[in-house]
Amino acid sequence: MNLSRRMVLSGGAAAGALLTLSPRRAGAVLKLDVTQGNVQPIPIAIPEFVAVATTDPAVGRNIGQIVSSNLQRSGLFAPVDPAAFIEKINSIDTLPRFADWRAINAQALVTGRITQSEGRLKAEFRLWDVFAGQQLHGQQYTTTADNWRRIAHIISDAIYERLTGEKGYFDSRVVFVDESGPKERRIKRLALMDQDGANVRYLTRGDDLVLTPRFSSSADTITYMSYGGSDPRVYLMNIETGQREIVSNFPGMSFSPRFSPDSQRVIFSLQRGGNSNLFVMDLRSKATTRLTDTQVIDTAPSYSPDGSYICFESDRGGKQQIYVMGATGGQAQRISFGDGAYSTPVWSPRGDYIAFTKQAEGRFAIGIMRADGSGERILTEGYHNEGPTWAPNGRVVMFFRDPGGNAGPGLFTVDLTGRNEQPVKTPSYASDPSWSPLLQ
Amino acid sequence: MRTATTISAIGHGAVLLWSVWSLTARPLATPMSDALPVDIVSASELSQITQGIKDAPKAQLQKPLVEKVAEAKPIEDPTAKVVEKKEVKAAREPPPAPEAKPVQAKPEEKKAEQKPDESRPDKKTAEAKPDQIAQALEKAESKPEPKKVEEKAHAATPPKKPAPPAPKFDAKRVEALLDKRDPTRLAAAGETIHNTASFGLPSGRESQLSLNELEALRARLAQLWTPPAGARNPQEVIVVVRIRLKPDGTLAAAPEVLNNGTSPHYLASRDSAKRAVIRGQPFNMLKPEHYEQWKDIEITFDPRDMIRG
Repeated sequence: MNLSRRMVLSGGAAAGALLTLSPRRAGAVLKLDVTQGNVQPIPIAIPEFVAVATTDPAVGRNIGQIVSSNLQRSGLFAPVDPAAFIEKINSIDTLPRFADWRAINAQALVTGRITQSEGRLKAEFRLWDVFAGQQLHGQQYTTTADNWRRIAHIISDAIYERLTGEKGYFDSRVVFVDESGPKERRIKRLALMDQDGANVRYLTRGDDLVLTPRFSSSADTITYMSYGGSDPRVYLMNIETGQREIVSNFPGMSFSPRFSPDSQRVIFSLQRGGNSNLFVMDLRSKATTRLTDTQVIDTAPSYSPDGSYICFESDRGGKQQIYVMGATGGQAQRISFGDGAYSTPVWSPRGDYIAFTKQAEGRFAIGIMRADGSGERILTEGYHNEGPTWAPNGRVVMFFRDPGGNAGPGLFTVDLTGRNEQPVKTPSYASDPSWSPLLQ
Repeated sequence: MRTATTISAIGHGAVLLWSVWSLTARPLATPMSDALPVDIVSASELSQITQGIKDAPKAQLQKPLVEKVAEAKPIEDPTAKVVEKKEVKAAREPPPAPEAKPVQAKPEEKKAEQKPDESRPDKKTAEAKPDQIAQALEKAESKPEPKKVEEKAHAATPPKKPAPPAPKFDAKRVEALLDKRDPTRLAAAGETIHNTASFGLPSGRESQLSLNELEALRARLAQLWTPPAGARNPQEVIVVVRIRLKPDGTLAAAPEVLNNGTSPHYLASRDSAKRAVIRGQPFNMLKPEHYEQWKDIEITFDPRDMIRG
């Protein structure tokens, strides 16, 4: 009895095993799903670029260093210490000895060459996948000799995009308000710099108070608010020529300007009496359109990247909250519902998130939420954080932080995870940053 | 009558139809629960888990038996008593046992006698005691012979220990005789022939690629794979890679990507997946005895769960 039962059991089991296994055998493939990954930074080796012939070796070294520090600041890459390098790259036309780079655990390798002649600079680079032993990317650029920093940023962007799939953001600039002098008599000047803090240039002399500079989509024009005369006005300035013009010459205080995505219009708020409303001005025709007509304070408007929506802050519900409405006005929909007051909404260039400043329990936080108000996430929080602005790829937010006391504000960047927060080097105190799009 | 039946039939049909359409119960909302990895054990696997082979582990089992044999002898003594008693006991044991009792008794008697001498005037009871002891002495002296006989009989047990003649009939030997026959059993069914005998340990299910091995492989790849975080269309970052492995767990050929795409996110995801597979080798969490099953693996890298957050 026992025996027969066992036979039946094993027979059935064998049949079952055959049934389940036969298709697998036919394909001869075991299937496996991997649904989790690791967000560890990618180790990357960036030896100094080879300087050819008469080229100053320092240029090659500097470019390598800029690429390295750009990638490191992004938080997605971990440049390998050059002291660990085994192979010395002497030419970019031969295959690197991948085993040497695998040995120091570099997953990617960048080799480059700089050729300088008659004031022109030619930069070539190759990006290698060390473990696959393949070239992932190769490119060359030519520019004027004094433009070597931009070359380094462009190479950084190319590497960043190839390895992460995201557009880069290194070849971009930031306009901000430079603050110097004692706390009681702060001098505020508009200043411009590369996103890594280099090449600082002052755009105003500091005679007038300036606030809220904003880049246009062409990266050569900014709009800002200045207390030039009696009332603050919104100005435009070409950052290459320094040419300025007043946008809004209305009675009342106009402030909080921002370009439309096509840079054809400027949206701003205009205060009359105790309330302020949103207006948009066509820069060519100078025609001004009122978008809101309320007895409350509507301000800080920002366009969606496709230009069809506007998000802004309003206290029409009692407390400052973020609202979204069509670009031509109309019914506005509240999207922020958390505790505290929400202000300075800024739509990401990717369109997926809106960054904001949130004030709750005496603390200021920088956060992001989706355009429908869901998925709110605080990226950083503290005594005073304000004024978020998006990197061109929508993966990093820059803001300014005031530690309180006698110290002044400084600029910081934080990525969308909130984990990688970095100070931005500025010559003095700095506030109100605005990130440009990628340079053309 | 006919019309009534027709009307009734139509009416019932209508009610039935209506109930089918309108009374269909809405399925209860079932809350999504996290998937738990479950190992499904088939009957054959279960039998392999519990199956034991008598040949292989005998040594382990015999050790405890050997120890017990030494202790077991006294228990078996009763059968041997009859034979050994007569030969050995008589010479050795008579002196010690009987002497012990008289020696102890005598000193007590002496002390008892002395004490009464000193305390005679005080206690009457003391006088009575010597009488009892004297009686006891008399009794002891008068009964030495019968006691010795009994003691000899008792002493018969100890002598057996020093001199153990091999018992001709032993239960253990019977077992050994029975074991000599070749054990017969059904051959274990499995996908691959695996000759290492196991004695029903939990790890006995060795001929199947276990969930643990797959899980370890998955964990290794997840650790090495850096999916692009910002893809707007998560579908585009799914990468399917087919790898062929050598028995030592290294790649037999470059990983083959089975799907394709052109977006930068896909390229980044694809390269990262390939890197993960290359860096992960050798995959020594996969046991060589299951090579047939893991020599060819199709891996789907799907970061959608990560991106959703």
